[in-house]
Amino acid sequence: MSEVPAVEVTNLVKDFRGSFGRGRIRAVDHVSFKIAPGEVYGLIGPNGSGKSTTMKALLGLVAPTSGNCAIFGKDSTKVDSRRNVGFLPENPYFYKHLSGQETIRFYGKLCGMRGAELRRRTEEVLDLVDLQGARKRRLGGYSKGMLQRIGLAQALVQDPRLLILDEPTAGVDPIGSRQIRDLILTLKKRGFTVFLCSHLLEQVQEVCDRVGIIHQGRLVKEGRLEDLISIEDQTEVVLRNATPELLKCIRELAEGEEGVDWVRSGHPRTTLERLFLRETLPQEAAIDLPDDPDE
Amino acid sequence: MSSESVKFPFFSPRRVLIIAGNTFTQLIRMKVFYFLLVFVLLGIGIHFLPELPHLSGPESVGPEELRRMKSMLIAVMKLFALILGIVATSLIIPRDVEDRTLYTILSKPVPRLDYLVGKLLGILLLIFAGLALMALLLDLVLHFRTQAVLAEWMQAADTLIAQGQWTAADKESARLEILHHGVTWSLQAAMLTIFFEAAVIAALALLVSTFSSSTLFTVVIATLCYFIGQFIANGRDYWLAQSRHGEEPALVISSKILVVIFPDFRPYGIADKVIAGANFPPDVLGSLALTTGLYVGIYLVLSWFVFSDKEI
Repeated sequence: MSEVPAVEVTNLVKDFRGSFGRGRIRAVDHVSFKIAPGEVYGLIGPNGSGKSTTMKALLGLVAPTSGNCAIFGKDSTKVDSRRNVGFLPENPYFYKHLSGQETIRFYGKLCGMRGAELRRRTEEVLDLVDLQGARKRRLGGYSKGMLQRIGLAQALVQDPRLLILDEPTAGVDPIGSRQIRDLILTLKKRGFTVFLCSHLLEQVQEVCDRVGIIHQGRLVKEGRLEDLISIEDQTEVVLRNATPELLKCIRELAEGEEGVDWVRSGHPRTTLERLFLRETLPQEAAIDLPDDPDE
Repeated sequence: MSSESVKFPFFSPRRVLIIAGNTFTQLIRMKVFYFLLVFVLLGIGIHFLPELPHLSGPESVGPEELRRMKSMLIAVMKLFALILGIVATSLIIPRDVEDRTLYTILSKPVPRLDYLVGKLLGILLLIFAGLALMALLLDLVLHFRTQAVLAEWMQAADTLIAQGQWTAADKESARLEILHHGVTWSLQAAMLTIFFEAAVIAALALLVSTFSSSTLFTVVIATLCYFIGQFIANGRDYWLAQSRHGEEPALVISSKILVVIFPDFRPYGIADKVIAGANFPPDVLGSLALTTGLYVGIYLVLSWFVFSDKEI
């Protein structure tokens, strides 16, 4: 029996009405993708490309115009589907009147937790995001990075199977950003399914197994990160204990062949940033982008 | 996970109470609330001062003094309840949307109805707690003033009896009148109607806030509805009486719809009659509670209709 996908978005279309009800703006245009359980999936795209709308549709915060979204096989317009989801929105502001600990307890209670289980889980997530020292402090006194981490803690409080992160490091300093990235890697190791969108392509490249590039509401590229950033017409030869003489011999052999250029040993890769720009820039501008970062 | 197989409840009172508790705490910890409460409590507490110079004439003594005091204090309580009902409700949803707090709440397994009911309940709890505190203080102030006025008048009555101008029956009548203006069950019921009125206006403000994205817009519309609601029933009666088609069902139905849009606040004016010395009939309290429940219920259902499809 095939495993139920953690996320399944099928032909998602979302139109918004224009000003004064005139015209329609298509924010998401027939987007389809799946995320397998335990996978870390990154959705990247320029501002206004439809990333957040896709996430909101997945969380039932906006209703799809057509198509559907499912979380672990459950229709995402149904409240029930959110039992296994933790969500961290972009630049979240929580209730400033609550302390870090009260915030986690509030969200835990909303998920139906109580008593010893709630107390234990509150301590666990505060430990995980390294906010035990600030647990009694009101959120009004938290820094941006601390708010992001408490946001991550509330998303994790009910021990969800799927974590949805919208720009988790937006506005966070490099250290805070690194902490959040490390947290995502920790969660990945623990088997969480993570769906994130970020502008920080380097971070996406570091943590994601699969990536989708969304541009003007359309999913223009999607697949395994390794496959997407591989350059198809070049070959990487990996040798163990190869002597300089052997390498020289191989190089001479290769260069002796007509039409073959020795680029370098190793499988060359482009960066996710280049791939992203190629997919989202106008075609003329994208042609000038080299495949090889060394070029 | 075992919870997978459990049927998800359409409405959870427990979750509603969690959201209500959080809203109550949120409002309690807001500085503006303290300011308002302290202002009102000072307004009531100042009457503890026995030597307070007053500008009233000789007619403002005895029962009249008590009536004026009640009138002023009840007006302050009403102002507090209405301001809190309108402003706090108008603030609560737009702020949650603006701060994206709503995203984090609704991305948990929280039905939108639970959220709305919880928010309204939190505000109503706060209004009730504030009014209860003020009612307690008002009762204390009024009790002491009543005792002071009673002592003063009984002494004067004894003098008048000695002079042969009053009889013992006159004295007893004066005593009963003064006590009637003191702390009575009718007064407690009148204070409860302030809560009912505030509950209706808060539910109406909640409805407006579900389709408005601006706090100011909600405050203005809810305030307008309140003032229109003060006169709507008179206007409707006049309209139906003036119309030659007053018995026409369509006209009657449309006038009733109008009363739902702009709630009829006229029955809540009974508090003024109680201040003037009238008794509060228990059946009126029951019917007012029922009317309030009906209005709050209608506005909640309408809010839910709007909010359930709202794109956040």
